[in-house]
Amino acid sequence: MNGHTYEILLALGVLSPFISFWLLVFIGPKLGKPLAGWFGVAFGMGVPLLLASYVLMCWLGEDAASRAMLAEHAFRYHWANLGTVPILVGVKLDSLTIAMYFMVAFIAFWIFVFSVGYMSGHSDEVDGKSKYHRFFAYLSLFAFSMLGLVLSSNLLFLFIFWELVGLCSYLLIGFYFHERVPQYAQMKAFITNRVGDFGFIIGLMLVYFQLGTLDLDDAARIFAEQYAAGTGIFASSFTMFGWSLATIMGVGLFCGAMGKSAQFPLHVWLPDAMAGPTPVSALIHAATMVAAGVYLVARVFRLMTPEALMFVAAIGCITLTLMALIAMVQTDIKKCLAYSTLSQLGYMIFGLGCGAWIAALFHLITHAFFKAMMFLGSGQVIEGCHHEQDMRKMGGLMKKMPVTGLTFLVGVLAISGFGIPGTNIGLGGFFSKDEILAVAWVRAFDWTDYSRHEAEHGEHHALAVPAIDANDGSSHGAIDGEKQIVLASDPQHGDSHAASLHGEGHTASESPRGLKSTAHGEDAHGRAGVFSRVPAMPKWMFYLALFTAYITPFYMMRCWWMTFMGKPRDEHVHDHAHESPMMFLPLVVLAVGTFVASYFLFRDLISDAATAATIAPMVLATDGHVHSLAITAAHHWLITGVGGSFVVGFVIAILIYGRGLNIAARIKGTIGIQQVHTVLENKYYIDELYHLVWVKGCMCIAHIARFIDTWVIDMTYLTLAKLTERLAAFSGLIIDTQCVDGMYNGMADTAIDIGEAVRRPQTGRIRNYVLFAAGGATVAVVLMLLYWGVASPDQSVAMLTP
Amino acid sequence: MEHIGLTHYLVVAAVLFCCGIFTMTTKRNAIGILIGVELVLNSTGINLVAFDRYMGPGRLDGQVVAIFLIVLAAAETALAVGICINVYKNLSTVDVDAASQLRG
Amino acid sequence: MFRSRFHTIVLAALGVVALSTASLASDAAGSGADHSGVTQAAASGGWLEVLLFYIAAAAACVSALGVCYSRNIVRMAVWLFGALGSVALLYFLLAANFIAAIQLIVYAGGTLILLVFGVMLTSKSPWARFEARKIEVFGATVVSGTLFACLSLLLTRAHWATTDSAVAGTAMSALGHSLLTTYLVPFELAGVLLMIVMVGAAHLARQDK
Repeated sequence: MNGHTYEILLALGVLSPFISFWLLVFIGPKLGKPLAGWFGVAFGMGVPLLLASYVLMCWLGEDAASRAMLAEHAFRYHWANLGTVPILVGVKLDSLTIAMYFMVAFIAFWIFVFSVGYMSGHSDEVDGKSKYHRFFAYLSLFAFSMLGLVLSSNLLFLFIFWELVGLCSYLLIGFYFHERVPQYAQMKAFITNRVGDFGFIIGLMLVYFQLGTLDLDDAARIFAEQYAAGTGIFASSFTMFGWSLATIMGVGLFCGAMGKSAQFPLHVWLPDAMAGPTPVSALIHAATMVAAGVYLVARVFRLMTPEALMFVAAIGCITLTLMALIAMVQTDIKKCLAYSTLSQLGYMIFGLGCGAWIAALFHLITHAFFKAMMFLGSGQVIEGCHHEQDMRKMGGLMKKMPVTGLTFLVGVLAISGFGIPGTNIGLGGFFSKDEILAVAWVRAFDWTDYSRHEAEHGEHHALAVPAIDANDGSSHGAIDGEKQIVLASDPQHGDSHAASLHGEGHTASESPRGLKSTAHGEDAHGRAGVFSRVPAMPKWMFYLALFTAYITPFYMMRCWWMTFMGKPRDEHVHDHAHESPMMFLPLVVLAVGTFVASYFLFRDLISDAATAATIAPMVLATDGHVHSLAITAAHHWLITGVGGSFVVGFVIAILIYGRGLNIAARIKGTIGIQQVHTVLENKYYIDELYHLVWVKGCMCIAHIARFIDTWVIDMTYLTLAKLTERLAAFSGLIIDTQCVDGMYNGMADTAIDIGEAVRRPQTGRIRNYVLFAAGGATVAVVLMLLYWGVASPDQSVAMLTP
Repeated sequence: MEHIGLTHYLVVAAVLFCCGIFTMTTKRNAIGILIGVELVLNSTGINLVAFDRYMGPGRLDGQVVAIFLIVLAAAETALAVGICINVYKNLSTVDVDAASQLRG
Repeated sequence: MFRSRFHTIVLAALGVVALSTASLASDAAGSGADHSGVTQAAASGGWLEVLLFYIAAAAACVSALGVCYSRNIVRMAVWLFGALGSVALLYFLLAANFIAAIQLIVYAGGTLILLVFGVMLTSKSPWARFEARKIEVFGATVVSGTLFACLSLLLTRAHWATTDSAVAGTAMSALGHSLLTTYLVPFELAGVLLMIVMVGAAHLARQDK
């Protein structure tokens, strides 16, 4: 394909669900219950999936050079000017977009299919009217927003779609808005997201004012230029919390991601969002929408300073740990999955923060597949168990719903990082999550040596090898013996710098920031300078992430075992359990998708995009290909440890929950653990804290305001009103009654009198009127005579002569 | 013999005018009032033609207006007789004093 | 009986006088006719004209007073006929032959007949009488008397800028020409008016359903 075919096809894929949305809004009620759903499936999501598949095929057929050329010549429509900044509408065309687009379309399609089955078993009536078409209209709108978000080449449009996605989330969480819980959940989600979006807007404003563009590529280019020259945003001496303005910009943009990807401390909405219908939880709150935050960070990665990235990593690290701990004690199956989602999102954010750009996005995509699948599985379970969500009442469901159980197990294995260390056999997290950990290890322990080495030598042969490696992403497995760290490279010199790195000396000149810059060797030296500025990561972050890697398999296995294995704990629930065939088709497809995504396609696409998408002079993306055949000696023990983590987690979980809940209850009863358990069950009392600080705080302020209102303002006005009333009474009594009324009454009486007097001659007899007229004429003539004088003919002559 | 001038005709017209006024005011019969109106109109006609004759000979304005006057008088009479008939139909009399619903 | 016969005789005499005077006046007015179509009125101060004027004026005044003092509506109509005829005579004397002719034709021949028809259609008896109150008669007398007195005083005292030297009669052709050029619009409007009146009168007098 050439020209703008890619953009056109992708844009058509975005428009299709939008049109579907409007059609469902207007003709949905006429289509009726199953038809509207199938219409949404076919038109809202089927068309984008077909287009996405076709585009993906074509894109895979392009070689690196033509991909770069297509991305460079991507169509940009000059839509409007924001001040002097042109707003260009276009498609961000690179491998990441294609991969994300396909992932969203694929998962959303199968969730749509699942939704048709799900809604057939659920009430679609709200306030006595069928809202069935509305559900699919919202889903279509969501698909439109999410696909548009992925395609946006412009931060402004990204933000618009971002908000639309948030709106869809709001609408779908509160789909059953006549119930209390969804109402609160939707409001909570929306308001929490607003908090994050506030930061996002600050970031956008800084991009707009300091970089003077909103286009992603332009912003990155200008940012790099400003960094090299020390101008623009880097010239500002403004600091806040010890952060420079550039860092604040990065942190601000990340705040948006914190809201949407539910990072601590804005994570509170996501568990509550499980009040929505299960397909919605799967689509929005597990697979795609929450990934938008990660996607945003990946997109603005080039605008992040090392300090901002450190902040990102810290937030991710805190989130992944805290949420994993909560997940351990959850008994609600959906809540358990929600907290595992939070934890995994924390992993992604943490990965991005410590530079594992490729690994984090890879984790995002594999996670999307298996988490969507697990949510759908949980929906299947809940549906089968008569709307029972408490895992303590389940158990032994494997016989009743084998497909669900098995696909769920695939998800559990994938999220736990199941695989055989030292080989290339594994699932999902085995590749992506462990890779994040490896990068984190390098950043935490091996960094000082590395950066010193880098700084001392100015050029580093070790860099060159993986740089080449990154350029043909598939051959990385063949290289060994070196730390496999791919550095971000400059777009203009993307191909040439590898060669120049091999070269010897450069005629370097000092830039204002102490960075060496030359015509050709700028990148290596520039990066060296940056490297020396990037601090090593605190070790606790690595330890926490590693620790959580052991917890994840535990809680996932606990969840699966409690649900599917063991003896049935509630006969009623167990008897009712059944599987719906139409609903497990998506499960199987997504399970297969998890396998495929773990091995093929996505990893290559993301590493293909990485080179261009992480370019910025000060930004790095370390990419340890730890599962390749060329595992370094330094990583061996790590991989063995991490790779085996799932075994440890599984064994502990099975030991505890293998024979019912007794052991768990006994452990819970232990002093010390009991208190911790209580804290975890109450989610660290964060909701209560927020309630205390924000809700009660607001209430307190409101009470104070009300006090002032009642006793100061109202009193003042009441007094004024009383005074006015007195004045009015006085003036009414004296002035109004006596003077004004008197005057008007007098006028009225006079009018009546005149009327009475004038009425008399109005006899109604025409003859009298004639007489009066004639009398009038007579009087006139008499007056004429008297005026001119009877005996003065001369005057009358003068008067009457024409 | 004295000279017959404009004043003579005007005095005759004045006589007719005043008689018309008197007729209109004293006759209770609607047709009587109409007759009074005709008298007044005739006095006007005399005035018009006399002024034409003595003050603007050759201009014919007065005579033309007199023609219109006759036309109008005829039209007025036709309408007035129609009204009289209507009044008679409604009130069974042509006594104009009976038609005094508009009195104040 | 005697009274009615007397009135009839007087009226008949007046009619004869009027008609003969009319022919005389016509002769007197047309005596100076020349070929230009503009007839010269009788020489001012001519005895015939003076005589005819006084006869016509007296007839007009008497008829008008007759209208005033008749109590019978039919008699009033007859006196009106006399007044109209006298006025026609005066028109002849003023050299307005055409006006005089249509005065006779339209007024005496049309309007008066219309009035008589009105009388016949609207009275249960043609002799029905409605008398005005004395006070009204008195008021009317005072008003019209005063008016006449003042008007006469005014008229006789006034000095009119008359152009006696160019006393001229008028040919009908000149009148017609003027009517169809200078006064074309009023002429057409008069036609429209007459039609409206025709329709309106028919509507007013129609039989109720």
